[in-house]
Amino acid sequence: VLVHSERLGDLDVPDDKVLTFPEGLVGFPGDTRFVMIEIEEGASYRWLQSTDDPTLSFLTVIPWPFFPDYEPEVDDVTTQELGLHQPADAIVLCLVTVRDDSPDPVTANLLGPLVINAVSRVGRQVVLAESSYPTRAALVGG
Amino acid sequence: MLVLSRRANQSIVIGTDVIVTVLEVRGDHVRLGIQAPRTVTVHREEVFAEIQRENRSAAAFSGDSLSNLPKPPG
Repeated sequence: VLVHSERLGDLDVPDDKVLTFPEGLVGFPGDTRFVMIEIEEGASYRWLQSTDDPTLSFLTVIPWPFFPDYEPEVDDVTTQELGLHQPADAIVLCLVTVRDDSPDPVTANLLGPLVINAVSRVGRQVVLAESSYPTRAALVGG
Repeated sequence: MLVLSRRANQSIVIGTDVIVTVLEVRGDHVRLGIQAPRTVTVHREEVFAEIQRENRSAAAFSGDSLSNLPKPPG
C-alpha cells in the first residue's frame, strides 16, 4: 500500500504492515488504518502513520525494555474481540510524547496502550481504567 | 443537556439497550450500575479525557529530536 506521510515522506508499505483500529484511537475516531514503521534511532520505537491522513502520525514504543514490570490487564471483551488467546499473540505499543521543555522530555502512555493482534493486525487502544498506570511515564535511557 | 431526577434503584434507558441504574446515593457520592452491550465501551469521563489529551500531545510531536530518544537500559 502506498502511504503519503508528511513526516516520513512517501512510503511503499507491504500490506502485512497495515494495522486496523476499527474504533480509531481515543480522540481520533476517524483514522482507523495505520502503517507501522520501524525507525533506526532506536529498535524499541515504531512510527504509526495514518494511511488516510498524511499529517497524523504517532511515535510509539514497546514498553518492556523500559518498564520490565509493566503488566497491562486487558479485559475479556477486548481479548475476545481482538481474538487474543495468549499474551504472545499480542503486540503492545505505548504512545510516546516528547516535550522538549519538560524535566521528563520523553514519556510513554502506560494507561492507554495499543493492543494489536499480531496475526490479524487488528488493534484497539485499551483504557486500563482500574490500573494506576500513568499517561506520562518517563522513558529513561540506560 | 437533558436533566432527569432519579432515586436509588431507579434507572434510565439510553437508546434501546443501555440501562444506567442509580445504586446508591451517599452525600455527594453516587454509585451507578451500567448495563450495556459488549460493544459499547464505558469509561469514567476523566480517564477518557486524560487519554485523549495525551493522544493529542503525542500526535503534535514535531519529530526534530528523534536522535535524543532514550535507549533501553541494559
